[in-house]
Amino acid sequence: MSFLAPLALALSALALPILVLYMLKLRRREVEVSSVMLWQKLLRDREANAPWQRLRRNLLLLLQLLLLALLVVALARPFLRVPVVASGAVIILLDASASMQATDIAPSRFEAARAAVRQLIDGLTAGSRMTLIRVGLQPEVLAAGADDKETLRAALARAEAAPTPADWEAAFALAAGAVRGARLDESIVVIVSDGGLPDDLPPLPGEIRYVPVGAVADNVAVAALSVRPAPGGPQLFARVANYGDGDRTVIVSILQGGQLFSAQQLDVPAGGSADLVLADLPDAASVYAARLSAPDADEAAGLDALPLDDTAWAVYQPPTSGRALVISPGNLFLEQMLTALPGLQPFRLLPGAAPPDEAFDLYVLDSVTQTAALPEAELLWVNPLSSTLFTVGEVFTNTQLRRVAPDDPLTRYLDWGAVHILQARRVEVPTWARVLVEAEGGPLVFAGETGGRRVAVITFRLQDSDLPLQLAFPVLMSNLIEYLAPAQAFSAPDGLRPGQTLTIKPHGGDRAIAIDDPDGERFQAAATEAGVLFTDSDKLGVYTVVSNQAVLGAFAVNLFDPAESAIRPQLNIRVGRAEVGATPQAEIGQFEIWPWIAAAAFVILLIEWWTYHRGATLPALPGWRGLFKRKKSAA
Amino acid sequence: MLFDETTLRKLDRLALVASQVRAGVMKGERRSTKRGTSIEFADYRDYVRGDDLRRVDWNVFARLERPFIKLLEEEEDLAVHVLVDASRSMDFGAGPEAGAAETHKFRYAQRLAAALGYIALAAGDRLTVSVLQGAEPVAQFGPSRGRGHALRLIRFLEDQTPAGTTVLDEALRVYALGARRPGLAFLLSDLFAPDGYESGLGQFLSRGYEVSVLHVLAPEELDPPLAGDLKLIDAETGAPQDITLDGGLRDLYRRRVLAWRDEIEAYCLKRRITYVPVTTDLAWDELVLSQLRERGLIK
Repeated sequence: MSFLAPLALALSALALPILVLYMLKLRRREVEVSSVMLWQKLLRDREANAPWQRLRRNLLLLLQLLLLALLVVALARPFLRVPVVASGAVIILLDASASMQATDIAPSRFEAARAAVRQLIDGLTAGSRMTLIRVGLQPEVLAAGADDKETLRAALARAEAAPTPADWEAAFALAAGAVRGARLDESIVVIVSDGGLPDDLPPLPGEIRYVPVGAVADNVAVAALSVRPAPGGPQLFARVANYGDGDRTVIVSILQGGQLFSAQQLDVPAGGSADLVLADLPDAASVYAARLSAPDADEAAGLDALPLDDTAWAVYQPPTSGRALVISPGNLFLEQMLTALPGLQPFRLLPGAAPPDEAFDLYVLDSVTQTAALPEAELLWVNPLSSTLFTVGEVFTNTQLRRVAPDDPLTRYLDWGAVHILQARRVEVPTWARVLVEAEGGPLVFAGETGGRRVAVITFRLQDSDLPLQLAFPVLMSNLIEYLAPAQAFSAPDGLRPGQTLTIKPHGGDRAIAIDDPDGERFQAAATEAGVLFTDSDKLGVYTVVSNQAVLGAFAVNLFDPAESAIRPQLNIRVGRAEVGATPQAEIGQFEIWPWIAAAAFVILLIEWWTYHRGATLPALPGWRGLFKRKKSAA
Repeated sequence: MLFDETTLRKLDRLALVASQVRAGVMKGERRSTKRGTSIEFADYRDYVRGDDLRRVDWNVFARLERPFIKLLEEEEDLAVHVLVDASRSMDFGAGPEAGAAETHKFRYAQRLAAALGYIALAAGDRLTVSVLQGAEPVAQFGPSRGRGHALRLIRFLEDQTPAGTTVLDEALRVYALGARRPGLAFLLSDLFAPDGYESGLGQFLSRGYEVSVLHVLAPEELDPPLAGDLKLIDAETGAPQDITLDGGLRDLYRRRVLAWRDEIEAYCLKRRITYVPVTTDLAWDELVLSQLRERGLIK
């Protein structure tokens, strides 16, 4: 036990005046005796030691001295050094980033951090409040200003580490808000982490303590993995980085579709990296995985402390092109434009000719009268003469522009101002369609979805306008083709980082999208026009996108984060301009025990008050006297 | 009631015993050396102012022209003086209302004085009973002789109440200096006199009194039932004395009281004063009948 204010112990000198006052004024029972003559003679002998006789066995004085002693000790603010104690407003920032899953401390750094926080909760003093913030990709307040330890423990038990980087800035903003919201004089922000905090963190109000976790720095990681198309066939590139202090030799196994495809031994210098390139891979959609292992097969302990980044995945999707069938009496502008657009391969057919058996992704109908049932595919209809989808009316010439639909992806970058049109066909716009460009006499361009297919309609002959000569033509065609025949459902050639979002645009009829995550868990989502925004990418591995029982594709989520792979525990962190050193756990807390001593003093005070009113000195306690009397009578 | 029926009967019995005893022993055997007012001439002495003019021998005055006082042989009737200390310190001890054992010192002294007086009256002695209060006697009974005065004596004693302080030494001296016939003197007191009593008693002795001291103490004074932090108040002076009384100190007090009595006894022995320590829990008639007789105060 030590004292925060040892000078207060000097107040124990107050015992002297108490003793003096006590000797001066002793509350005495007055008893009349026939004469004090004998007593005076008697006392004359004992005068010398009389004061000490008075002190002896005097309960009141003893109590008062004890009371003083307790008060003085309480004022000196004694404290016990306990492993972790914090009081006031305590804000815990619990690092839940990928590096916290390192197993250099059994069972893991995160569990060690959790234990440290649990100790903090246990040591929480009365009247203190704790805010628990889990610092992950999106910092999450697990418990806000709670003073109930059970609540806090339950909240702590819920927290899990994720293979994601941590957003410390957002966490600091939360912590600063919690400090201000706590309205307590004393606030302590405890950062439980293995370091890896950015250097430019803003300063925080209150006292900052840093509890580091982690022991070793050894870690080898797959820092990059990608498969790219190349002239001779796809090419795989992998980079292995060594974040430890010693050179390492690792075996890089490349798996294709789960089968071992290649294995190589790589020497990775300390603090450096080594690259691996595999060329001329089979040109087919495939999932590649790169896995690191130790060259010594007997090494049961594993490669390093963080197995999370020892495996990486890449998905190769060969470039594809949609096939379009153009049924037209001949339209040079249209054919050239479709050929020029990327990802589309046009085929031409004269009206009335028998369509080929194979299916096409897109049918382009130019100045055609509908004779047979429409194919189950996307339609681009230029100058329709008759249709079962909508009613085609007379020709109108009032083609002055009325409006272009604003904020529509199909009219993006479209400048219709310079376009002149001779005549167009009056088409009654069906309810499923929306007008993109409208003239005074009727719609010029509209689009929509009906019967599970996407349909776009241009109501005039291209030859009857100067549209093909304008800049608006390629813009419009590009927008429409992108809408009707998107190249891929989604685009993630390099995969994602954990927590990144991905927009998935299914084909026309596909409304329900399912995504299977690496653990086989399925996420269902209903697609809108804008597609599906997938956000649950916080597991590492390969995600498969399924629509209508057909696999649309796959994408990989990899850590690829040098800040997380560098697991060397940091002894200092920088917050604002201050360098915050590691606080050893054993010394983080001072448990002040003065409230207990003050409470004891209060009890003593009560006893003293009671004693005073009983007028008690030890031998004269009535209870005692009665006891003696009973004994006598019994004898 | 100080003297109830039983007490009076006891007194009567005592007087009877006393008269029998005295009748046989005293007659003609005891010749006083003191001079008095009988008719048998003894000597002359010079007249001093204040002498009774009737006792001047006028014949000698006519012859020598100087007044002489005629001194005569004392008669053999004994003068008995009973002196009762009536200071507040005597007003101590359990009264009659306290229950079984009555240990009140003054009441005890009153009864004792009555008993002694009764015996003296019955024996035909000249009895004087004085009550000492302050620095002098405040009330006096007698001198009286004869049984007929017994009732008056009792009434006189009943009227007395203890009050104030007694400067015992001075009161004794004043009494002794009074022109009285010396004889037996009984002092009934607790002797709580800070100024002492020795010179007063000395005055008695030098005048030829036979002095007996009946030292009356209550049992509460011998073994005080006190403990703890106390402020002792002197009953006479009101002087306080703080004391923290524990077992050790009480033992010391008990020893000290006994030593004090021994001290007084030693003093008395040296001067041929009869000293009788009296504790008020002893029945007073028993004291008179056995203890006083043993000590030769009553024969």
